[in-house]
Amino acid sequence: MMTSLNSRGETSNFDILIVGGGLVGCASAWHLARLGLKVLVAERGHLNSGASGQNAGSLHFQIERRFLEQGEKAAADGARIVTLNRLAIEEWRGIEHMLGRPLDVAMHGGLMVAETEEQMALLAFKVARENELGLSTQVLDSAQLRERAPSLSPHLAGAAWLADEGHANPRILVDAFAEGAVEQGAQIRTGTALTGLSMARDGTYRAVLSGPDGELRVNTPRVLLASGHWTARLAGLLGLNVPLYAAPLMMSVTDRTEPVLPYLVQHVGARLSMKQTEDGNLLIGGGWPSRLVRRADGTPDLDRPATVEMKNLRANLAVAARVLPGLAQRSLLRTWTGTTCISADQLPIVGEIPAAPGLFVAAGGSLFTLGPVLARLLARTIAEGSPPEELSMFLPRRFAHLDAFAVLP
Amino acid sequence: MTVFDIAIVGGGPAGLAAAERTLAAGLSTCVIDEQQRPGGQILRQPPAGFSVPGWLSGAPYRKGRALLDKVSDDAKLNWLGGHSVLGITPDPAGEAGFTLALSGTMGGVSEVQAKRVLVAGGCYDMPVALPGWTLPGVMSAGAVQTMVKAQQVLPGQRVVLFGTHPLMIVLAQQIIEAGGQVEAVCFAQSFAQMAKAALAHLPRAITMPAPLIAAAGGMAVLRRAGVQVRYGAPVLRSEGEGLGGVEQVVIAGPKGEEAIACDLAAMCYGFLPQADLVRQVGAGVRWSNPAGGWEAVHDDAMRSTVPGLYVAGETTGVAGSDAAMAEGAIAGLAIAQDAGVLTARDASAAMRGPRSARKAMQGFIDLLRAVGDPRPWLPAASAETLLCRCEDIPAGAVDKAIADALAVGPSFGASAIKLRCRAGMGLCQGRSCEHAVIRRIAAARSCAEEEVDGFRPRFPARSLAIADLLDDAG
Amino acid sequence: MKRIEQGVTRPAQIAVEIDGARVMVHPGETVAVAVLASASQRFRDDRSGAARGMFCNMGTCSECTVWAAVGTSPWRRLRGCLVPVEPSLRISTRDPESRP
Repeated sequence: MMTSLNSRGETSNFDILIVGGGLVGCASAWHLARLGLKVLVAERGHLNSGASGQNAGSLHFQIERRFLEQGEKAAADGARIVTLNRLAIEEWRGIEHMLGRPLDVAMHGGLMVAETEEQMALLAFKVARENELGLSTQVLDSAQLRERAPSLSPHLAGAAWLADEGHANPRILVDAFAEGAVEQGAQIRTGTALTGLSMARDGTYRAVLSGPDGELRVNTPRVLLASGHWTARLAGLLGLNVPLYAAPLMMSVTDRTEPVLPYLVQHVGARLSMKQTEDGNLLIGGGWPSRLVRRADGTPDLDRPATVEMKNLRANLAVAARVLPGLAQRSLLRTWTGTTCISADQLPIVGEIPAAPGLFVAAGGSLFTLGPVLARLLARTIAEGSPPEELSMFLPRRFAHLDAFAVLP
Repeated sequence: MTVFDIAIVGGGPAGLAAAERTLAAGLSTCVIDEQQRPGGQILRQPPAGFSVPGWLSGAPYRKGRALLDKVSDDAKLNWLGGHSVLGITPDPAGEAGFTLALSGTMGGVSEVQAKRVLVAGGCYDMPVALPGWTLPGVMSAGAVQTMVKAQQVLPGQRVVLFGTHPLMIVLAQQIIEAGGQVEAVCFAQSFAQMAKAALAHLPRAITMPAPLIAAAGGMAVLRRAGVQVRYGAPVLRSEGEGLGGVEQVVIAGPKGEEAIACDLAAMCYGFLPQADLVRQVGAGVRWSNPAGGWEAVHDDAMRSTVPGLYVAGETTGVAGSDAAMAEGAIAGLAIAQDAGVLTARDASAAMRGPRSARKAMQGFIDLLRAVGDPRPWLPAASAETLLCRCEDIPAGAVDKAIADALAVGPSFGASAIKLRCRAGMGLCQGRSCEHAVIRRIAAARSCAEEEVDGFRPRFPARSLAIADLLDDAG
Repeated sequence: MKRIEQGVTRPAQIAVEIDGARVMVHPGETVAVAVLASASQRFRDDRSGAARGMFCNMGTCSECTVWAAVGTSPWRRLRGCLVPVEPSLRISTRDPESRP
């Protein structure tokens, strides 16, 4: 597509500039292009090269361990996310049809296992909350668990089971959205970084993009920052505060083996996510930190890939092998790092920034599972001018106090 | 944990030459290598329990063998044979500049710390995907040569060598001397093309007469043995049925396709630098010509772009073992200088010899590169030919992934294609197919290979048993 | 495969087991040589079921990867070209575990 430029080398062709070619950016581009908006996506690296392509592809809908271990308040927040999880389940059930191609979506169920009676009690508490909120988890005792998943350790005390959980292939999902968006008329520029962003007097945005063909100046009424942990830094170009913090994690994959694990496996008392891909590899993660590279002055360098933390890798594999004893016989092919982000209250931040009308953000963890449905809700917000009720607890307005001193035209 | 002054990854000519200098300078030195014994691929030794009195007695190996004997006999050398380096983590703030994670080739995981690291990882045969190349019995020339040199076995009885690299002459000679039968040596390029390339570089190459004389000697051995050396005979595919492996290779002869029966077909199109550890650390590399792959960049004393990390030998570009020894010596001196045990003046004076030796070789290196340039002669893979041998990904699937990526935009590298089609995701960590994936991306994007990002190098550089990581996890 | 006899003296042979069959090898020979000595070029089957052989013999391509165990130790996958044989070595060219 040609981009028409005015005499100052600026383009006003686009209804929205999306910064970030990951899952949320490309899925939002797809929805918005279908709604008739002229969309420009700028990705500074390659499509899907950030956390969207580096996460382990879990589709997890049970209340997460990290919410349960942070006390009552966080557990309540975790419970509130269940409402959205139910929408996400519907989204994933229909996504291959929607995008017209296989995406290795396997929703054969998920287990959150427990090793002790104490952990079983926590599971019972969690399942009761989930059932109240309409999520049909159930507790399996040790015998029931063995019957359902005979490859898992006989020493497990039990598990919480949710039939809708599973996994999808993060390697191909973003490309499917991106290709669909381009077909719908969106323009995607890779190797193109956002290097400047300001608000004009009329409330529109002036963005400077630096790409392989030089600089492009974009005048646009709307900007969506869907840039993972870089979102906070990019919002900073406007003097705004989005409380997102980098979380460098690592994931590991084994060699291929015959099908042994049709389910997503998590652990209520330890960091673990484990699943088997369509090709037979076992994918192991669960939120174990990797190590950010530091610059000479000691500050973290978010532009370089985080490095593997051997101690955490061993600990991650140890938990995994306790749950799936046969893992010890497999080979470790690769451990890779990816940097996701976490918000100040652990919930994603999705929607319009109150201090900067027309500026939208979408970031904050769990955005593989929730990315497609959040992108759909966000696109509705942008197209209709107001957010749907389901998005209310994720809106940036809960952090509006942080922008009390922002200076904008 | 002991912190070595210098950890050298690779016990071949470059690593040993560096160790010779660092040991002489009094630095605590460990050399890590996947092989049990020092020597690298060029001087790969028979097992310790074997007696092979005539082992590599030829003139081209003399200098390397002298170095091997000297360094192996040095009681101060910490030799860590049988170990793979899984990853190198720089820690510029700590006392040890680097931590190296190792796995024993027979099991076990350990760590070594060192103030400085030299990567002298050598090179490996360029794997070239042609139809039938995954049949058992189709191997790299280096595989056959190291089987003969070190294990003292011939992996096949009737051998065809094919490709573009003059090393085929040396290998054919070694196979014959070992009692094997060479059915044919098939150079894809014509003799006229080779001669033209050679003549263009001869005036500078003639300063290095020894390798030229050795090559002529090799030809004489082949002539006496009645081996047909064919030029302008590109191999199109290899064929075989059932479990028996390769039965023949098919060449494009002057009168059309021609089959040559064999039970071992060895390809020899050139060599790719081993630079994955260098890339993992984030040091600079550039595309290596003519064969491809990534070679580490360095200053005039073999320092990489990462402080404390040095590179030498084929890791910096494939140039042969004499060049590797010269570069290893320079690196060893630079390490001693940077460690403060050799003055800049003494280091500079000591580097003069290896530097001028290295410079004098360049004419012959350029001649070899020109004569053996595989690029015009790489055989065509069919859509069904497996490009990624580990994950069984055919060329057609890689090309489709490239076309799909291109539909979104031209800025993508090998990792994006790996994510789309799984090429490079298997046990070899992409070493076999990366260069081929990059060549195909470059062709599709109409750009130079240099401009295509390679696979992102991952930990562990070699796959390992998970049990090894569980052993002492506590 | 043929051992070069002229000018080579080897230690006395030992027996290893490959896919259940007894194969005689010399200490110092690699697992890869042991597989070749079993009169087979096949190291594994690929996903289509086709037989596959070794390729590089220098630890780079992983095509010689087999399962190995010493005596009753657990199986582990290793690159056959790098590992010397030892007494009581068992080698399998197929995944010996029905489960991981």
